[in-house]
Amino acid sequence: MDDGGNPITWLVDAATAGDELAWQEIVNRYSPLLASVIRSFRLSPAETQDIAQTVWLRLVEHLAGLREPRALPTWIITTSKREALRYVSNRRRTVPHDPLAPSRLDTAAEDVGPDVDLLRAEQHEALLAGLAELPPRQRELLILLAEDPPLSYAEISRRTGTPVGSIGPTRGRALERLRQTVAFRDFLARPPGQAGPLGSAAGRGLDQPGQG
Amino acid sequence: MTEHPWHDDQRLFADLSDAIREAADGLGSIGEFGRGAYAWRTIDEDLLVASLSFDSSLEPVPEQRSSPAEARVMAFTAAPLSVELEVTPDRIVGQIIPPGPAEIRVEMAGEVTVRIEADDAGFFQLSRAVRGPLRLRCETASARLVTEWVPL
Repeated sequence: MDDGGNPITWLVDAATAGDELAWQEIVNRYSPLLASVIRSFRLSPAETQDIAQTVWLRLVEHLAGLREPRALPTWIITTSKREALRYVSNRRRTVPHDPLAPSRLDTAAEDVGPDVDLLRAEQHEALLAGLAELPPRQRELLILLAEDPPLSYAEISRRTGTPVGSIGPTRGRALERLRQTVAFRDFLARPPGQAGPLGSAAGRGLDQPGQG
Repeated sequence: MTEHPWHDDQRLFADLSDAIREAADGLGSIGEFGRGAYAWRTIDEDLLVASLSFDSSLEPVPEQRSSPAEARVMAFTAAPLSVELEVTPDRIVGQIIPPGPAEIRVEMAGEVTVRIEADDAGFFQLSRAVRGPLRLRCETASARLVTEWVPL
């Protein structure tokens, strides 16, 4: 799967045709992106799970229309944001409005300011969508290296079968490959804060209703 | 044009690690839902897929007027057949359009499927609280339809 056509396109085609293992691979690759997008709305764990489940269930029925490398992450981001906004909107209408009490969302947005939050969310989307395009071994290594507290190289070597001395160079190659992914190149090709195909249209809607 | 910080391995890896760590929370159950979702794949070319065409929870509401008991109203449309749903905390009532009898399967991911019938006027109801994603399969004399999944 390292060479030739785009691995995501291949996985989408296979899962559409009934290959369940290809579907599992799509789920493994894109769960972090989905988790990251929903997480930015700061919903409850139960709401987060309902949205994630709904997005996967819908994706199963929409796969056939996503046979282009950019289409899958774009669809996941757009759909999960739309569903998350539905919860935010439901909450707004069921929680009695008290003009003196700051809402949970307002408080959350004031943590660092909406612009910083938005840029950071867009960066995370691009990085995780790029990560999803990497071959499994490179992806697995980067995820293990990101653990906090950090794992020792010996432990990473044990889990991945990569010799300790190869971990550094493999990380370097994985990062270089990340820079070549469709998601990554798309992100760098547009000015910061300006939502593109992988952009934060719904995230913007949160901070500036009516300008979406 | 200045070089983006991500051209530096350390900067790129630091940001990537942040993204991975922040997404790690709840990741296990998100993956499980994903793996389970494939079992609901529909392979039926004659089936009409009805998308959510109206959802009262997305309509603008005046800030001052919010009543907790308000029902959520949804419409799923797939010409020539549509379904309207009204969801309250303890039941779901629905209407098949055009009105007429129908067999309905209420599919709830992770739960049993419930079978109900719409009467001659196309009216049906499910007298129980439901939460989590749900969809309906409706079969009338002339058409079969499945709605999009919606979380309740």
